[in-house]
Amino acid sequence: MKQRLQSISGITYVCVVYYVLAALVTPGFFSINNTWNLLYNFFPLLILAGGQTYVMLTAGIDLSITSIIAVCSVVGGFVMSADTTPFASEGSMIFFGIIAMLLTGVAIGLFNGLSVASFQMPAFMVTLTTMMIFSGFAVWLTQSQNIYNLPEAFVDFPYRSVLGLPTPVLIGIVLVLLGYLLLRRTIWGEWIYAVGANRAAATVSGVNVGKTLLLVYAMSGLSGGIAAIFYTARLETGSPVMGQNILLDVIGAVVIGGTSLFGGRGKISWTITGALFMTILDNSLNLLGLSFFLIMIIKGIIILGTAVFNRLQERRWTSA
Amino acid sequence: MLELKGIRKRFGAVEVLKGIDLTVGSGEIVGLVGENGAGKSTLMNMLGGIYPPSEGQMSFAGRPFAPQDPADAFVKGIAFIHQELNLFPNLSIEENLLLNDLPTHHGIGKQVVSRQQLRQHAQVLLKRIGLDLPTSMLVGALTNAQQQLVEIAKAFRGAPQLIIFDEPTTSLSRHESEILFRLMSELRDQGIGMIFISHHLQEVLSITDKVVVLRDGELISQNATSSLTKETIVEDMVGRSMDKLFPKKRGEVSDQMLLDIRGLRGEGIGPLDFSIAKGEVLGFYGLVGAGRTETARAVFGLDPSYHNAIRWLGEDISHFSPAAWIKKGAVFLTEDRRVDGLMLGRPILPNVQLASLPRFAKRVLSRLSHEAIRGQVKVEVEKTRVKHLDLDTSPVAQLSGGNQQKVVLARWLMTHPKLLILDEPTKGIDIGAKEEIYDLINQIVEKGSSVWLISSEIEELLGMSDRIVVMNGGHITAEFDRRDFDEKAILDAALDRLNAEAP
Amino acid sequence: MTKLFTIVKRQGIIGLWLLLILGFSLASESFFTAQNLVNILIQASTLTIIAVGMTFVLLSAGIDLSFGSIMFLAGVAAGMLTTRGVGLGVAVPTILIIGLLFGLLNGLLIVRLRLIPFIVTLATFYMGRGLGLLLSDTRAINLPEAILQIGSSRILGVPVPVWIMILVVLIGHLILSRTVFGRYIYAVGHSKEKAAKAGLPVNRILIGTYAMGGLCAGVGGLVAIAQLGAVSPSFGLQSEFLAIAAAVLGGTSLFGGKGGIFPGTVVGAFTMQTIQNGLVIVNADPYLHQLVTGAVIFLIVWVDSRQNAKKKSLSLN
Repeated sequence: MKQRLQSISGITYVCVVYYVLAALVTPGFFSINNTWNLLYNFFPLLILAGGQTYVMLTAGIDLSITSIIAVCSVVGGFVMSADTTPFASEGSMIFFGIIAMLLTGVAIGLFNGLSVASFQMPAFMVTLTTMMIFSGFAVWLTQSQNIYNLPEAFVDFPYRSVLGLPTPVLIGIVLVLLGYLLLRRTIWGEWIYAVGANRAAATVSGVNVGKTLLLVYAMSGLSGGIAAIFYTARLETGSPVMGQNILLDVIGAVVIGGTSLFGGRGKISWTITGALFMTILDNSLNLLGLSFFLIMIIKGIIILGTAVFNRLQERRWTSA
Repeated sequence: MLELKGIRKRFGAVEVLKGIDLTVGSGEIVGLVGENGAGKSTLMNMLGGIYPPSEGQMSFAGRPFAPQDPADAFVKGIAFIHQELNLFPNLSIEENLLLNDLPTHHGIGKQVVSRQQLRQHAQVLLKRIGLDLPTSMLVGALTNAQQQLVEIAKAFRGAPQLIIFDEPTTSLSRHESEILFRLMSELRDQGIGMIFISHHLQEVLSITDKVVVLRDGELISQNATSSLTKETIVEDMVGRSMDKLFPKKRGEVSDQMLLDIRGLRGEGIGPLDFSIAKGEVLGFYGLVGAGRTETARAVFGLDPSYHNAIRWLGEDISHFSPAAWIKKGAVFLTEDRRVDGLMLGRPILPNVQLASLPRFAKRVLSRLSHEAIRGQVKVEVEKTRVKHLDLDTSPVAQLSGGNQQKVVLARWLMTHPKLLILDEPTKGIDIGAKEEIYDLINQIVEKGSSVWLISSEIEELLGMSDRIVVMNGGHITAEFDRRDFDEKAILDAALDRLNAEAP
Repeated sequence: MTKLFTIVKRQGIIGLWLLLILGFSLASESFFTAQNLVNILIQASTLTIIAVGMTFVLLSAGIDLSFGSIMFLAGVAAGMLTTRGVGLGVAVPTILIIGLLFGLLNGLLIVRLRLIPFIVTLATFYMGRGLGLLLSDTRAINLPEAILQIGSSRILGVPVPVWIMILVVLIGHLILSRTVFGRYIYAVGHSKEKAAKAGLPVNRILIGTYAMGGLCAGVGGLVAIAQLGAVSPSFGLQSEFLAIAAAVLGGTSLFGGKGGIFPGTVVGAFTMQTIQNGLVIVNADPYLHQLVTGAVIFLIVWVDSRQNAKKKSLSLN
C-alpha cells in the first residue's frame, strides 16, 4: 500500500482537492462546456511539458520550445495558406502542412541536441540562443505578419470527434501514452535517467550519451511541432509570435509535477498532474473573473507553494 | 596531555563506544586503526566538538575538556584535519588559509580585505608547515599533497597542541605521503601531539609511536609501535589472523591471450605493449600520476589514444567505445565510484542493470522486460552480498562505501565479463568489505575470466596477481612473474627516476 | 587573417569582440566614429548594469529569472511617481529601494523556503509582472521630461547613463574582488556545503547576491526608461535572458564560483550591443537583428566550449 501511495506524487492530491474546490466555488467550472474547454487547453500544454520532461530528465532544459512553436506555425501557415500554398487540393495542403510542421520541429530539436551532445555546449545557453535565433527567423520569414486563409478542414479539426472523443483529446492521449511507454519500457528511457543522474557513469556503462541527448531534444522539438498544429488550428492563423508567453507555463508544469531540474528524477505521470494543475488553475481563475495580472500573481504564489510542498513530500519519503 | 576515561557514546539504543580509555602525550603520534564502523569517527568527533560523549571524562592539558562545538575545540587547542579537504580551488592560498577571518582595513573600509595583512599572515602559516609557494596562487593549481599541506596550515591559525589526521594519505601518492610524514615528525619535535587515522598499516607502522586498535566500539589493544607488526595489528582489528585476507589462489593461467595491446599512446602515456591471458590477474603498480588510470581509460575508449594493434581473442579491434567493449565482454570499474561509477541519487536496481540493458532488448526503442531484469539484478546483488534495504527506492548514496563499491561490481558482473578492469577497487573501504571483494575476484578468475587490477597497495597486488606490471612516468618500466615477486624491486621500478626515461 | 585567429584564441571573448568591431568598421564607414562608439556605450548601459547584477547571482551558483519583472516594476513605479509630480530626489531612491527589496525577497524565499533559485525567481517573475500590470492598469505610461533628462544630459561631456554604468561596474568589480562579501560569494558559489563547513554565513551571502541583483535590475530599469521615455506593458520582458547571455559570454559560469565583472561581463554586454548597433549601421533588415544576434552569441558559446574541451583533454594528468 505504501508503495502504491509513493508512486502517486503528492501534488496529485492537491490537484484533486483544488478541482473539487473550484467546482464548488467557481460558477460554470463544473460544466460540460468548460470541461471541453479545459481539455482543449490541457493537451497542447501537456504535450509540450511531456517533451520538456524528457529534456529535464537528462539535466537539460529547452528554452527554445516557444520559438519552435512559432517557426512551425509559420512554416505550416506558408504550406497551407491559400495565399502561398504550392498545393492544389485541400487534402495535400493539410497533409504536407502537418508534415512540414512536424519536420521543422524535429529539425530544430536535432540542432539543439547536436549542439548539446556533440559540441558539449551547456543546454541553457544553446536553447537560449536558438530561442533568439528561431524566434527571429519566424519574424523575418513573415516580416512580422500573420498568415491567414488556412484550409477549412484544418481549422475545424480540433472540433471534430473520432470514436466519440474530440480529436485533440484522442491525439493527446495516444501521444502521452507513447511518451510514457518510451520512458518506462525501453533502453532509451533508462538511458535518459542515467545521463541525467551521472553522465560520466553512464558513458563508462556503455550508454550512448550522444544518441540519447540527440533523441531527447528531437523529441522536445517534435512536441513543439505537434503543439503548433493545435494552436495554429485553434487560432486559425500562422503566427510568428505564437506561444511566446507559454515557456514558463511549460517549465512550470514540469517542475510543479515534481521533476527535478538537475536530472535523473521525474516521471511523465507527474508532469500530467503538473500540466493539469496549471490548466485548472488558469481556467478557474479566469472563470472567477479575475484580471489576468491577478492571475499571474496567484500563479506565482501557487508555483512557490507547490515547490515547498514537493520538497516536504520528498523529505518524508526519503526519511521514511 | 589528552586523557580519555571510560568514554561511552550511545545513539538511541545503539551503543557505539563501550568505555574507551586513551591517552596522547605531547610530541606523541598515536595511530588509530579499526574497520569502518569500529567507532573511530565517533571518538574523534567527540574530540573535535561535534557531539559530547554520553558518559566518561575527557581532559586536555590538565583541564576537563568539553568543547561546545568545532570552533570551541579549535580554540582550546585541538585541530581536526578531515579526510575531505575543505578548500576552494577558485580562491587563492591566502584566502583559503584565513577564509573565516579575513583581515580588513579599518574605518570606512571595514569590509575591504587588506591584501598586505592577508599575505603576511598567510606567509607565517605556510612557513610553519614548510611550504614555499606564492600565497596568491589559486589552490586549484596545487597538487594533492600541496592542498593537503594547505589544509594542515589552516590548523596553525590557532595554537594547536593536538592535531587529528583523518586518513590524510588516501588521495596522496607515496612520494607525497612522505612529504606529509616529514612534516608530522617536525611537529612531533615541536611537542605537538597527533592522532593519525589510516587504513594503510604500513604507514601507521612507520610514522606512529603508539597504535590503538578499535573493534566494535571497544579498545582492543594499545601498544608501542616498535612491538607491533602488520600481522598483529590486523589480527586485533578483525579478530583473526591475516592469511585469510588474501584467500587461497586458484589454478593455472591459460596460454590463450585475451587482450594484446601494441604501441598504445595517449595523453602522457606510451608507447605501451602489454597483454592479459585468459584466467589471469594482471596487476598494474605505479605511483599516482604514473599513467595507470590513463592507460585503462585510453584502452576503454574514454580518452583519445592511438595504437598499433589491439587484439581481443586474436581478433583485431580498430574501433572501440565503452559500449563496444561491454558487448565484447570487457568492463571497467573506475577509480572514483562517486564521480563516474554510481548514480548516487538512484536506487540499486537502475545502478546495477545499467550496463546490461542491451542484453534485454534488441534495439534502443524496443520493449524491455523489467521482470527479467529485476530477477537478474537480485541474483547479482546477492552474489556480491550488498547489504541493502530494498532494490528500488533508497538511493545508493545511503549505502556505506564498501556496499557502494559492491553495487558497481554487481553492475559489471551482471554483464558476464571476460575481462574486468578494476581501478583501485578497495580504496577507502574497510577490511571486511575488502576481503569480500578479493573473494569475488577469485571467483571470477576461477570461471576463466581475467582481471586487470590497478592498485596503489602493493600487498594487494602481491596477494592477488599472477603478474605485476610497473608503470613509471607513463611507461612500463618492469614486469614480474608471480614466482619473481619482490616487493623492493617493484618499488624501485615504480620510484626510480632514471627508469622513467627509458622507453 | 591567421593573426586574427590567434588573437581570438588567446583573448577569447575580447578577441571576438575586437573582430566584430573590425568587421563592422570595414562594412560601414559610419561605424567606427566617435559619435557611434559613444552611442554603443549609451545603448549598452542598461544591459551592462543588469548583467553586473546577474554576475553576482550566477557567481553564487544561482539564477534570477525575475530581472525583467523587477525592471518593469521599477519603471512603473517611476512613471506613477513622476507623473504625479513627485520629484526625482524622491522617485529615484524609491525605485532603487524597490529593486533592492525585490532582490531581498528573492533571496529570503530561496534561503528560508530552501527552494532552488530557478523556481523561486520563476514564481516572482510572474508575481512581479502581475503586480506591475495591476499598478499600470496594463497601459503604457509616458514619462515626464524630468526622467528623460537623466537619459540625455551629459556630465563632463559623458552621457549620464554611461556614468551610471561606469559607477555600477566599478562598485561591482570592487565588491567582488576586494571585499569580504565578494570573496565569500566565490566560496559559496564553488560549494555551499564547504562554505557552511568553513563557518561562512552562507544564507546572508546568498541573500546579499540577490539583493545586489535586484538593485542592479532596478538601476538598469531606470536607465532604460530614461532613454525610452515610456513604460510599455512588455517593458523588460526577457531582459533576464540577455543579462545571463552577457555574463556567460564574459566567462562567468552558470554553475557558480567562476567569472567576474571586469573585463568579463562588461565585454560580454558590449559584444552583444556592438552586434545590435552594427546591424543598424550596416542597414540590415530590422527583422534580421534578433536572428543574427542569437547566431553570433551561439557561435561565441560554441567556440568557447571547444576551447574548454581542448583544455580539459590537455589537463588530464
